[in-house]
Parts: sequence; structure tokens; C-alpha cells
Amino acid sequence: MVVALAQIATCPGQPKHNLTRHLAMIERARTAGAHLVVFPELSLSGYLLAHGVLEHAMDLGDALLEPLKRASRDLAVLFGLPLREEHGGVSNAAVLLEGGEVRGVHRKLYLPTYGMFDEGRYFIPGPRLEPLACSLGSLGVLVCEDAWHLSSAALLAHAGVDALLIMAGGPTEVGAEDEPAASRRWHWIVGATAITTVRPVFFANRCGWEEGILFGGCSWAVDARGQALADAAPALDEALVVAPLSLAAAAHARTLIPIPYAERFDLWRAALAPPERDETS
Amino acid sequence: MKPPELPPVNVRLLATALKAFLAEELRASRLSGYVVGLSGGLDSAVAAALAVAAVGRDRLTALALPGPTSDPASLRDAQAVADALGVGLKTIAITAPADAFSEVLGAHDDRVRFGNLHARLRMAALFDRARADNALVLGTSNKSEILLGYSTLFGDAAASVQPLGDVWKTHVFALARALRVPEQVITKPPTADLWPGQTDAGELGFEYREVDPVLHCHHEQGMTRAQLLAVGFPQQLVDGALAAYRKNRFKWRPTVVARVSASCINVDRILPRNPEP
Repeated sequence: MVVALAQIATCPGQPKHNLTRHLAMIERARTAGAHLVVFPELSLSGYLLAHGVLEHAMDLGDALLEPLKRASRDLAVLFGLPLREEHGGVSNAAVLLEGGEVRGVHRKLYLPTYGMFDEGRYFIPGPRLEPLACSLGSLGVLVCEDAWHLSSAALLAHAGVDALLIMAGGPTEVGAEDEPAASRRWHWIVGATAITTVRPVFFANRCGWEEGILFGGCSWAVDARGQALADAAPALDEALVVAPLSLAAAAHARTLIPIPYAERFDLWRAALAPPERDETS
Repeated sequence: MKPPELPPVNVRLLATALKAFLAEELRASRLSGYVVGLSGGLDSAVAAALAVAAVGRDRLTALALPGPTSDPASLRDAQAVADALGVGLKTIAITAPADAFSEVLGAHDDRVRFGNLHARLRMAALFDRARADNALVLGTSNKSEILLGYSTLFGDAAASVQPLGDVWKTHVFALARALRVPEQVITKPPTADLWPGQTDAGELGFEYREVDPVLHCHHEQGMTRAQLLAVGFPQQLVDGALAAYRKNRFKWRPTVVARVSASCINVDRILPRNPEP
């Protein structure tokens, strides 16, 4: 199987423009023989919407999704949008399409609200972490900050996912290195996530500028041992990364290196248990 | 003790990123190009060079806006920059309107008021040209001068976009070399050129290469005055930098809106700048 990572430059407040970028990349992915194409976080709306979520939040029946649903008839598409929830609130959501239908939704768990990030003002956090299923297998989807909490990938590994898909809208600074500073940080996170869960990891980041904020690109894919499955995308330009996905190779890796099966969830339970009452005090 | 230096930047990556910024801002705005005022100085030369590389020389309008007290060498340097970039340079003298307006205002005898008036007349000329050409005004402020407040509010600080607004002046020099800005523009002392003999260093009391590491350590690293002195920065430099950093901070946010509703613009409603129609 083949997974394509669509590194695009989106614009907040210009969903029609963003949609054209999706359809062009899906076409390229189809030509490349992809079975799944993964887009960055909030790819359809743009990332820095701020209160623009009030204007751009949509539900899964929104007309803007129809071209994407049609495009997903012969390959799966994972993209991001601000999802208007039935009972109020807007989620930073990842939507998996296949066969022209919605196959699953992951709502971002961790909404960064520090430094330049302000997601907690505009979004509500996802209530749960569950694998999404499609013809490729069981997929663990993480949206940007979700992947910076290594427990997320550990829980998805415990749930038995075949691969991890990280959709990011990762801003970056320009430092002394040849690649943006944040791209280096993502390099380590993607590699460590793959190595510790013994799962292939597919990382789709956005590139370009929004509202004066630079995003770091460098989309990348690694196998269950952390070996590159394709060259990383450039930092600043749109690109399509095409990488193979072998569930058999990943399963074989976990036979040789069964690290995730040894996860000590009893330690998690102990850490989360309420403290015992000290009757002597 | 040798004080900390400004961390280096990858100039090639920085230039590439800033070019992409200018290209995207123009695309998102649906306007036709940029307008820049070429002063003959470093910042406007670098901003113009980035714009030409980003959107092409045909989409940059360069104006020279000499005033009654401008150094004639500035106009020659502006022309050299325009020639190097292959763009035309239209000269609009603001001497007559500056003199007439300052007469009306009674500002002629105060060189700061008179200088600020020049800066604001240049702003008016640039935004007028932008309106006529359906263009964006290309800002030329750098991070160092913004942090120090070394600018005229609603004058040279006014622009549609600021590609260099988060770039230290030290790194603007490096960008200038990478972008092949004419050598005389790089080597001459930075000046606002608002009165004869004016230089940034003369007014501020220090050079940008001296103050940039201080500002970096304080603004980015959070070092206190005591810590700045402890790592070896001279007291006069530290006190001068911190005084300007505090005194002129109001220029970072040029205006304040009184919020009396739950939908205050840019407080309760922070919205993308360039929505689709």
C-alpha cells in the first residue's frame, strides 16, 4: 500500500482556495498510486482562524466537503477542519473519508494555549482517543500537539493500530540551521514515536505563511524501526511525499521488538489512583 | 567578561522564507503589487530586494521621497538600489508640502516635529500610490528599531506588511549582503535622514551591533538588568536600551480600542485579514 503526504500551504479565511489545493494534491496522489492521502491540521480552513472559527466551522454535511467525498471514492483522504459540534463548541477535527463517505473523525485532544498558541480560546478538546478504520487497516490519528504527549501514541499502540498518522500545523522559527528550528523537533518526535510504538508513522505538516506565521513543512514518513520510508519534504514549499506502508513488515518488527506489548499500564493506573488516606494525620 | 553575542541566523533560509511571505501576502490580498519608499538606506533596500525576488520587478513600485533636509547622497543611493534591482524610481519631492504644512502647524522650529511631519508625509504618499495602483505598502521596519521605538508613529512605521519586523538589524545587514544590495548602502551609517547629520547611533547612543545582543538577552531570553550587567554588557548600553524598550513600547500597538461590548474588534473577534469574498 502507498500513503501520500500532502504538504500544502493553506490560507485562513479562504476555504475555496484551500479546497483547490486539496483536489490538486489528491489528483497527484492518485497518479502516484496512493491508497491514502494525508493532509495537515485544519487543512480545509487554514490554521490561524482565531475567532474565524465562528465563520468557518462546518459540519460533516457541509457542501464544501462534497468534492472531497467524491474524490475519496477510490482512495482514502484524511484532512482537517473546524467541526461544529451538535451541542455547541467547535472541535479541531481530522476527518477520514473513503468510498465517498465519512469513515471516522478524530478530535484534537491537546489544544496548545501558550506562547503563540491560543487554541483553547477557540476549540473544545476531543473527548476520547480511538483508532479510525478504513481499508488500509486500523489507523491512529494524532493532530499536532496530540503527538507531543507521548501517551497518545502509547494508547493507540495499546489499541492495536497498524500505523500512526500525524497531521500538523506546526509553526516554526528560522534559526542558524539549514532547516527551520521546529522541523528538527518534529524529526525527533516522529522518529521516537515510531521507534517506541514500533509502528510506521506518517507526518503531514503544512508549509508557507498564515497571518505572518511561518510553518515548517518537512513532512516525512518512517517505518516501525524509525527508518525513513521517503525523503522528507522541503521546509518551505508545497510537496507530495509518497511512501510505502507495509503492515506485514510492521507486524514482523513488533515480533522481533515487542516493546509496546510490555507497556506497564499498571504503573499508569497507580499514578492515576487517588492517594490513600493517611489515617494517622 | 565577554558578553553573549546575538545568535546567528541562516541567511539563505531567512531570505527564502521572507520572499515566500511577501508572495503569499500579495496572493491572499488579491492586490496587484507592492509600493516601497526607497530612502537610500539599508532597510528599504533589503525589503525591496525581497519583494522583487518574491513577486517580480514589475510588481514593485519604488518611490524616492526627498524632503528639504534630506542628504542628496540618499537620493543617489536610492537610485543605485533601484538600478541594482532593475526597477524604476519615481521621485516625489515632499519639500513644498512639508514646508507649507509645517508653516500651518508651526512645526518648523522643532526638528523632531518637522522630521515626524516628513515621515508622515512619506506615509501619505506611499498609501496614496498604493491606493492608485491597487497595491500594498511594503514596510521597512526591523525588529531592533521596533523594540527601541526608533520610528515615527503612523510615519515610517506604517505599512501593510513588515517582512523585516522580526529581523534584528544585525541580520538585516547579513540579508543585504546575500541580496547584493549596493555596498555603499551597507557600509554607510544608518540614518532616518530627517535632519542634516542625523544618525541612528547618534540619537540612540549606541550601534545596532552593540544593542542587538542586549535586546535579544532581555526581550527573548528574559534576562533582567542585573543579569545583563552580570554577563558583561556595559551599564550605559544596558540602561539606554532598557529605557527605550520601555519608554516607546506604546508604538508596538499604535492604538487601543476601548472595549465596551462582547464583540470588540481584535479582542473578542480576532479574524483572518484576507477572507474570501
